[in-house]
Amino acid sequence: MSGPARPGERRIAVEDVPALLAGAEFYSTSAAGEGIEFAGLWLEDLLAHTGPVRLVAAAELDPATPCAAVGAMGSTIAMAELPPSGEEAEVLARDLAGRVGGPLGAVMPLNAASVNALLPVAAAAVLGLPLIDCDGMGRVFPLIHQTTYELAGLPLCPLAVVSAGHDSVLLDTGSVRAERLARSMAQAAGGWLLCGLYPTRAGELGDAAIHGSMSRVLEVGRVLCGHAAEGARREPSAPTPGEGRGTAPHERLLRELVAATGASVLGGGRIVEIGPSVRQAGTVYPGNPLGLVVNDHDSGRLIRLEAHNELVLALADGALTAAVPDLLCLLDRGTMRMTGPERLSAGDQVDVLCVPAAPVWHGAAGLALGGPGAFGFPLRHPREGGR
Amino acid sequence: MKRARHLAEQLTVDELVRYGPLAHAEMLVGENLARPVSRVTLVSELDQVRRCGPGTAVVLAAGLAHGAWAVESALRLAWERSAACLVTPAVPGLTQATAQLGRRMRLPVFIVADDPAACALELAAAIASPDAARARLAARCAELFTERSGVRGIVGVINAEVPGVTVALLAPDGHVLAGHALTDRGAQQLVRVDVAGPDGRHWAELVASVAGRPSPTWAETVRLILRLARAPLAASVARERVDAVRDAERGRAALAAVLAAAGPCGQPGRVGEPGDPAASAAPGGAGQAGGVPESTLGWRLGGRHVAVFLRTDPALDGAAAAPGVVSAWQEVVPDLPLVPWEAGWASWWTGDDVEVGQVVPALRRALGRMRSPVPLSGGVGRAAPGPEGLRESLSQAVLAAGVTVREGHGAVRSFDELGYTVMLASLAEPRLVRSARVVLADLLSAPDGPVLVATLAALLDCANSTSQTALRLGVHRNTVLGRVERIRARGVDLDRPDQRLALHLACYALLPGLGLA
Repeated sequence: MSGPARPGERRIAVEDVPALLAGAEFYSTSAAGEGIEFAGLWLEDLLAHTGPVRLVAAAELDPATPCAAVGAMGSTIAMAELPPSGEEAEVLARDLAGRVGGPLGAVMPLNAASVNALLPVAAAAVLGLPLIDCDGMGRVFPLIHQTTYELAGLPLCPLAVVSAGHDSVLLDTGSVRAERLARSMAQAAGGWLLCGLYPTRAGELGDAAIHGSMSRVLEVGRVLCGHAAEGARREPSAPTPGEGRGTAPHERLLRELVAATGASVLGGGRIVEIGPSVRQAGTVYPGNPLGLVVNDHDSGRLIRLEAHNELVLALADGALTAAVPDLLCLLDRGTMRMTGPERLSAGDQVDVLCVPAAPVWHGAAGLALGGPGAFGFPLRHPREGGR
Repeated sequence: MKRARHLAEQLTVDELVRYGPLAHAEMLVGENLARPVSRVTLVSELDQVRRCGPGTAVVLAAGLAHGAWAVESALRLAWERSAACLVTPAVPGLTQATAQLGRRMRLPVFIVADDPAACALELAAAIASPDAARARLAARCAELFTERSGVRGIVGVINAEVPGVTVALLAPDGHVLAGHALTDRGAQQLVRVDVAGPDGRHWAELVASVAGRPSPTWAETVRLILRLARAPLAASVARERVDAVRDAERGRAALAAVLAAAGPCGQPGRVGEPGDPAASAAPGGAGQAGGVPESTLGWRLGGRHVAVFLRTDPALDGAAAAPGVVSAWQEVVPDLPLVPWEAGWASWWTGDDVEVGQVVPALRRALGRMRSPVPLSGGVGRAAPGPEGLRESLSQAVLAAGVTVREGHGAVRSFDELGYTVMLASLAEPRLVRSARVVLADLLSAPDGPVLVATLAALLDCANSTSQTALRLGVHRNTVLGRVERIRARGVDLDRPDQRLALHLACYALLPGLGLA
């Protein structure tokens, strides 16, 4: 996709990768963003060869354009150890082309968060296709069918998967079985799979996708990168010009993140407890359950966060205040970066943010697929009403 | 009104902890335990907590134990519903943060190791019938009473077993015989029960202070338990008294044997005095007395001794007071024996360097601290070695005590301090007293006769010095002068040397019977 950009055209180039990485970390709901830095370097290298990727809105494309979602499933740690070669997307495109009646005209992200915010960019770059500015989760969910595409009735299959060893499978079955089969294959094939799924036409994405996801990831990433750069430049004791006295840097960052994402700050303070949490339900999910408790500095409330890879619940003084599908994020006041339970220990100072999920997730079907009940919590989502 | 009575009959969380089904639960949060519990709800879904009424004991079913978050959610909902307490099965991860939240909410939280459903059933049974739970408590106390032998043990059972109750056994003068002294907090409810001694007469009072909101039924339960304690207390006191009398008689026999062995003329007992204590100690006591070696009584007979002798007012029944005097002595001076001897009680300090100068203040302090049922004063003999020395010293102490007994409670004098005047104290011989009453009849017939006799005795002691007499009697010299005028007016001539000795003896013979302090 080399060549000069046309006026109004949006592109993702090498220099956008740090912001993309930071935004991907933010939307990973704190836990799944662990150790994805390798993907940033990998993508920068790849984009340096292929040139920038064109980012288009679904409406800009011909409604008949064949397109498919791209994303990885499995373990990011396994992927860091056994990174993709870059050619996996070509295998997916070839396998799916035979089923959708022609070559793909565009690629869309399965979910614009964590490593899956970067892999579709790489796929589009390798295939020379535009990337549609949308996604199917707006965050990270543990299962590949927990998507708005699924809510809109798009069929997940045919599902094309390819492993680190370039084993490829084309699955034709229901969404739930596809998820299950692919997950067991991921374990056998090296820990991760790159998937091409929800093959459809650009015109079908109207209500099925969360639009503008990639732009939002980049915007949030730029906010975070800006602060990181500023924090590196500034002397710790020097007050920032133009800021009122007593405004801590993390408070300014929080304000900007709130403005960029529509998030609310549940509280912030010291972590008083962190440790494994045992739950009877939710055994179908990969990952390990964790609990941590933040003592809110201002109100003295105890905010308990339950994580299952991703942060799932927030209870303030025992009252449920936020839950999936809304995003829960932790900002480390010390490093001014998004953080997660794996990187934290008791005594650390964090802020807890809640970013509302896309409205489609708050419907009955959305909550059934991605609400607290789907994670084995017999709780009503705070937006479900009092009774 | 009916409603209020119903509320008062409810068990509190504290009661459920002390003797109810929560006794075996781990208390994670122990706040606000005085809440009454009106009912129990076993919840298997968090939403069910929303339907609980105030005062409910919320028990989480085992299936709800998904983790600390579920317990904390239930805690929050229970708090919103003003529940009395939360009972949860053991859940991994239920730690300090949950406890901290419970303390913030002031809601008691208990962790049960076994099936919470069984706990809920037991709670329901206890709550449905508070009387049954309280009857169990009373039965438990009664059982424990039988296992305790002492007064303190019996009172301790109540303090340990009955929740929120502090109990003390008070003597009629308010002295705490056993238990915790009651702090005077106005809001507390007091339950009082009279306790009769072994003789059936009022001996002491059990006073329980009941913490928390006044509840008539609970007060009745406490009263029942206090009444259950009465018979064991009386039995225990009787046993203590019998033991004291037995020990006293053994001591008396042993001391008599020791002194008889040491003494040149085989006394104790004054010559001609009927009822030698050794002989009268017990029928066939000679064999027993000889058979009680002093070492078994823990006595030290070697080394230097300073004997002391305690006496009470002859007008009082010293024998009846003996157990009380002995036990009071043992409270204050636990390492020295007190043996009934003649008309009082004998003891002795032993040690290689013991001196009269140490014993007198020590005895004075001991008498000051003793809670004796009768007034006591003491005489102290000289220091002397061995059993012979003890016999000597005791004889001196007896004489000295004859003087101090007139000086009232707490007086302590040594034989040396009193000098020859100790002999005068032995003058209460009936014939001498009768003669004295005849010769001093005029003086005694005065309206203030006894005072004049006492003043005359003091005046003679002080060689007719009115200022010294005033000092000794603690009155103004002019008062003494006035009395001397009245004494002279009654025909007593103080200036005849040949009459002085007889007059002095007559006064001393009369002094014990004058009833002056």
